[in-house]
Amino acid sequence: MSLLKLEKVTKRFGGLVAVNNVSLEISEGERLGIVGPNGSGKTTLFNLISGVHIPDEGRITFRGQDITRFPPYKRAPLGLGRTFQIPRPFASATVRENVAVGAMFGTLGKELSVNECLELADHYLDFMGLRAHADKQAGTLTPVEKKLLEIARALAMKPRLILMDEAMAGMHPKDIDKMVRLIQEVSDRENIAVVAMVEHIMRAVLGLAQRVVVLHQGAKLVDSSTKEALNDPRVVEVYLGHPPEE
Amino acid sequence: MGKRLSTYGPFIPVLALYVIIFLVGKGVQGMWQVMAMLTFYCALGQAFNIFLGMTGYVDFGYVAFLGVGTYGMALSITYLAHQGMTGPAVIIIGFLLALIFPALLSMAVGAVALRLRGAYFAIATIGVNEGFRYLIEGAKIWNGSEGMIFTSELNQVLGRDTASGLSTFWADVYLFIIAALAALVTLHFMRSRIGYALTALREDEDAAKVMGINVTKYKIIAFITSACFAGLVGGTSWALKTPYVFPPEVFEIHYTIEAIIIVLLGGAGTLMGPVIGALIYGLSKYYLSIILPGFQLLIFAPIIIVIIIAFPDGVMGVVKQRLRGTSLARFIE
Amino acid sequence: MSMLLEQLAGNLFQGLVLGAVYGMATMGLSLIFGVLRIVNVGHGAFIMVGAFVTLWLFTALGISPLVAVPVAFVVGLGLGFIFYYTAIKKLIKAPELASLLATFSIGILLEEVIKLIFGSEFRGYNWALPKIDLGVTVLPLSKLYACIGSIIIALILYLWFNKTRAGTAMRSVVEDTEGAKVCGVNVDRVYANSFAIGIGLTLASGVLLTMFIPVGINPYMGGSYTLKAFVIAVLGGLTSPYGAFFGGLVFGLIENGSYTLFALIPGVEPFALTRFLSFLMLLVILLIRPTGILKGK
Repeated sequence: MSLLKLEKVTKRFGGLVAVNNVSLEISEGERLGIVGPNGSGKTTLFNLISGVHIPDEGRITFRGQDITRFPPYKRAPLGLGRTFQIPRPFASATVRENVAVGAMFGTLGKELSVNECLELADHYLDFMGLRAHADKQAGTLTPVEKKLLEIARALAMKPRLILMDEAMAGMHPKDIDKMVRLIQEVSDRENIAVVAMVEHIMRAVLGLAQRVVVLHQGAKLVDSSTKEALNDPRVVEVYLGHPPEE
Repeated sequence: MGKRLSTYGPFIPVLALYVIIFLVGKGVQGMWQVMAMLTFYCALGQAFNIFLGMTGYVDFGYVAFLGVGTYGMALSITYLAHQGMTGPAVIIIGFLLALIFPALLSMAVGAVALRLRGAYFAIATIGVNEGFRYLIEGAKIWNGSEGMIFTSELNQVLGRDTASGLSTFWADVYLFIIAALAALVTLHFMRSRIGYALTALREDEDAAKVMGINVTKYKIIAFITSACFAGLVGGTSWALKTPYVFPPEVFEIHYTIEAIIIVLLGGAGTLMGPVIGALIYGLSKYYLSIILPGFQLLIFAPIIIVIIIAFPDGVMGVVKQRLRGTSLARFIE
Repeated sequence: MSMLLEQLAGNLFQGLVLGAVYGMATMGLSLIFGVLRIVNVGHGAFIMVGAFVTLWLFTALGISPLVAVPVAFVVGLGLGFIFYYTAIKKLIKAPELASLLATFSIGILLEEVIKLIFGSEFRGYNWALPKIDLGVTVLPLSKLYACIGSIIIALILYLWFNKTRAGTAMRSVVEDTEGAKVCGVNVDRVYANSFAIGIGLTLASGVLLTMFIPVGINPYMGGSYTLKAFVIAVLGGLTSPYGAFFGGLVFGLIENGSYTLFALIPGVEPFALTRFLSFLMLLVILLIRPTGILKGK
């Protein structure tokens, strides 16, 4: 079943075409990597999906609803979650309260009381291994802990799809593996689709995504399984012959 | 019981302080007016905190809400007295108007200003108090720059004795109640969805939006609530205690300045903060007025600058840090 | 009919003359916001300080207000550097609220200090200059000087921004702070200089404003100018000093024109209504186009 569908989406900034006639489809529970160097348009594409920008042309459909013109806050309760590359916790609130916010305004938001949200928060804190820090101010966490918090908060929204914005950039390979396993586990268990944005096909994407879309200058270059994309000569050319990182 | 306590526990020390202020005022000779002034500052601070503290937005035109609240009460008394109406119903209607007028003004201003981000919002509010004052004076609404004096109408409506009792005692009692109500509403917000949404948007408005929070809606809720309490404060403390209203007085930016000082000093966004700030500022102003009248702003302006740079969470911020993790922490908010 | 047209032309001219001074008074505000992204809420207080510098130089030392302009500018530079290094610098990275409240508090501090030194009565000075007939209208020479002074300062600023290294560095920071850093621009120094120059301009404008209105000088006179400055700044695009200047001209025209119009309506107070109009303008502009109606450089 199609969860998220982009049809001929185009976005221009002044004279620059940042995203050029991109169409793609993501199914429930699928894990997709959107790959492209800086300037390929992937950040803009992400912003279009999460509602920060509105496309000039094209349509975005999520769970059957046309969300093309929806502001970000209307997309979240439908089940569209997002994490940021540099984590943006609500610094003065506690770790638990941060995650609870996700629950409060996510898909189940209206049905849950504040206390139930706090309990749900604890559940995800346990899962991410952050329970010990539950009462600390979120601003005091280490960068890695903040990344975990970011994910816990997105999970508490009970999303159907999470947009992960280069979550593993600059992380130690061991931490990356741990993170990938966590995401795989939760994606399978709760049937959450994951769209991860990365700069090039690397360790993280190999483990995480079954499928990748490679962007080049705002347009879709390749849309295939990760393995095929790795060996696709066009992809190799785009990266000037650089092999994927080990 | 435990849950109830941790939810509403922090209200207890606040209420305790209010009760102490009331008792000292009643019990000690000549302290009633001082305590009344402190209550005014507490109420002003609590009301202002609902917006500044919880959203992190500053409304430089805030006093306008006190002003229109005062007019609400004044108009009720004046107009209804001329209609021949008497009795406490007039005052009750006055309170209603003191709520409705600022609600309307805040909706009008908010419709424009709350769509704007931080600095633009502040700019939009800079002229609200002046603007409204000049509208009243310019278009000669509600008697224009002459203002309204309604001492005789008040006497007519309530009878001399009751009116006098109102002006000298009961108005201040209502002010206590308003301050306590404002604190209660603040706490309720803090513990509910509204509080979480406001904290989120205060910390990071864009991240909050992405998490599903309709930031404009919550800003509006806080803005109107804060405005309504301000109206009540104006209607009670100004209209009922001194039965006249002059535009230049009730739209004076001075009160916004004091509100800012009180909230920042005590700790913006906390429950106890405005009370602590009100006590420090009010008492300092009172004692300074004996030695060096009119000097309080000269002293507090640099203090506020230091607080902004070095202690942005005010007194309560420091206190909460010290108490973090202890059992006392559940009572301090 | 020609009498009315004459009056109208005279009115418009007066509005432009006033507007030039208003515009110049706002340039500092736009400069500071453009470079540092900080809104100087205490703007009016700095204008007031400039007014008092003029007052003191004239009444105590008999120095002409024309000389007071550069003196006030230098005083403003000094104040700007002091406030930048003690307070503003630390708040560049802080949430917006902090700098808004800090500049607001600085304004209050200035008001109280001036009140302490000079007292709170309304003061004025009498710079007895003749009036000059310009054909379309008659102006006191002092007002003409104020207008010319404003234009000269605006021109100097233009040259500074476009012809000097320091000025160009400032422009680069306005456009792209990160990029400027990469190019080796010492952003902190640019911030300090911009803030100081902005404050200097604001104090100098206080001098020019007193040439226009040499009475009513008191510690709390700045408040009304703050609102006007913001209307003008928003009109002109908030980040552009040139936009501010032209915004000032527009504002001067509207203020003068509306006063004349309101004076014709019975049963209203034209002065108060004009001031209400400024506030209304602010809301309307922010509603339609927060980034300003006039596109400056």
